[in-house]
Amino acid sequence: MSLLGLEDRQWILLATIVFASASAIGAYSTLKLRRSAARPSTLLLVSVGWILQTIGLYARGLEYGGCPLSNRFELVQFLVWSAIALYIFVGPAFRLSLLGMFTSTFASIFSILSLSISRWDSAGRAPLFGDSPWIETHAALALFSYGVFGILALTSSMYLLQSRSLKQKNMGGLFPFMPSLQELAQINLRLLGLGFAILTTSLAIGAVYWSRELESVNVPKLLTTIAVWFAYGVLLFFRVRESLSYKQYSWACICVFAAALLSLEAVDQPSSQAVDSLIQSSAGL
Amino acid sequence: MNSNNGELLLITVNHETVPMEDRERYSLDKDQVRKLYETLRETSIVDEALILSTCNRFELYSKTIDPEKGADSIIEALQKFYRIDAQSIRNHAVVQEGQAAIKHLIEVSAGLKSQIVGEAEIFGQVKDAYAMCQKLGYAGSLLNRLFQKGFQAAKLIRHSTSIGEGQINISNVAVSLSLKIFGGLDHTSALIVGTGEIGEKTAKALRSRGAKSFGVASHSLERTQGVAETWGGTPRVVSEIESYLNEYDIIISSTELNEPLLTQSSLEQLNRQRKNRPLFLIDLGLPRNIDPSCAAVDDVYLYNLDDLAKIAEDNLSERRAAIKSSEAIAAKKSELIWKTLVNRGLVSFR
Repeated sequence: MSLLGLEDRQWILLATIVFASASAIGAYSTLKLRRSAARPSTLLLVSVGWILQTIGLYARGLEYGGCPLSNRFELVQFLVWSAIALYIFVGPAFRLSLLGMFTSTFASIFSILSLSISRWDSAGRAPLFGDSPWIETHAALALFSYGVFGILALTSSMYLLQSRSLKQKNMGGLFPFMPSLQELAQINLRLLGLGFAILTTSLAIGAVYWSRELESVNVPKLLTTIAVWFAYGVLLFFRVRESLSYKQYSWACICVFAAALLSLEAVDQPSSQAVDSLIQSSAGL
Repeated sequence: MNSNNGELLLITVNHETVPMEDRERYSLDKDQVRKLYETLRETSIVDEALILSTCNRFELYSKTIDPEKGADSIIEALQKFYRIDAQSIRNHAVVQEGQAAIKHLIEVSAGLKSQIVGEAEIFGQVKDAYAMCQKLGYAGSLLNRLFQKGFQAAKLIRHSTSIGEGQINISNVAVSLSLKIFGGLDHTSALIVGTGEIGEKTAKALRSRGAKSFGVASHSLERTQGVAETWGGTPRVVSEIESYLNEYDIIISSTELNEPLLTQSSLEQLNRQRKNRPLFLIDLGLPRNIDPSCAAVDDVYLYNLDDLAKIAEDNLSERRAAIKSSEAIAAKKSELIWKTLVNRGLVSFR
């Protein structure tokens, strides 16, 4: 759908270019000029990208009259949007140097991927989650939690990079600009807690809805979502009990996020209610 | 445009021009600096003056009324003040004029001319000297402009090159690594095993960056008690280390041992109790005090003397590599400042 003279995908493409630019500027500044890119300028650039992406997603949403979550392209875009929103609104409180560069790299990679695989953006689909506002809230919260887990995977990668540099006594590259291990470990715990709380709320809302309309439950989707929730729950339990080393914990955060991304395959299946609604709309009912 | 101009004159005696035994004769405390200012005023040839006196350099920046005789008159005043003959002063000092003096000021302020290349302390010392000069009323329009612009140029060099980056002494490298592991040091505790000088220096450096809790361990409690009292900290006995190791985040070891203080297996056992909190082991002992295999344990970071020395050496090399680009900035900026001074009529065009 067109908005302010541009198609939704064009807005999203512009946003992707801005994210990629923020990432490239950050990398050039850090690795070539040996200066950390100023946090306010990175934040500004990423915010511009986020606004462009919001306009693109809003244009999509107008098409459905709800959250744009009708195919994998939109799921990935919404996930990226959530991760960037978290960086913009909560990130400054973390005061983590290089988080902007890592987040914009994450955003540009996933955005480029979703834009280049055309079958992810299949047209003429009904919203995956039917037309109930509650189930839409459930879906939006679940994807927002994936955004949080995305940032968690980034900060975990930062931890592993920094830990490896310290172990190998390699003081070059990103090392001088990275936050301390302790800061990263603390932020990882907060992100895990936040993401898990959001995902739990999302599942609770979904559970209330599904318990009323059991026939609408897509079993593989339900099992996959519960598996992701359970995996993060176990991780949180071990982290709070401090049973895992920070290195094991960081690897686990990255692996579970990768699994969560793969689970989008199962999530990208319309619920029976959505199928019904699609059939009805095709039949002109 | 002639960039040499005796109106703006610099006389410097520093570690590059003379050895320490001659250099120390020019060292001044604050009262002596005041007296020298008064002496210079009495010459009636010095219109503005700034004296910089540090452990490594004596420098006098001045605006003279008579550019032809300025240097001679000032050396004469210094001869009376220091009671050193004029020829010796001429041998010890380097005299620079105009743009060369500006470039020198920028390079000194940025740490390019320091014995430890890139050290930051000199910038503060130059600023203090300028503040004193202003307070005493010896800075006029020329020196005010020169020093303000000179400071900007020095800051530019420090921010845009790696001249001041990285720590270059072993104690500070250890502190810098501690900060990369623990963030702030306010909540970390350090154990110093052995009573060697380098261990003491590292402990002092950690304390200066906020570390509050210390333990001092040696082979006998009596000996440790004395040292712990002097350094500040809880006395410990080395043989009981496994019973108290988990109270500490940083272990600095520089003692003589027959058996390694810590091994991989002992650390793995202790790591479960310490709930995987990071542990920074600094082994400054020769032979080494800590089994190198300890580095394989998760969340344990082991550095020995060679590792720290190599980091310090790498940082110093990086600083040295930045000298050329820093000098280029200093040359460019000194030219600009010189042109500004001429255009504003603060020095006359000759």
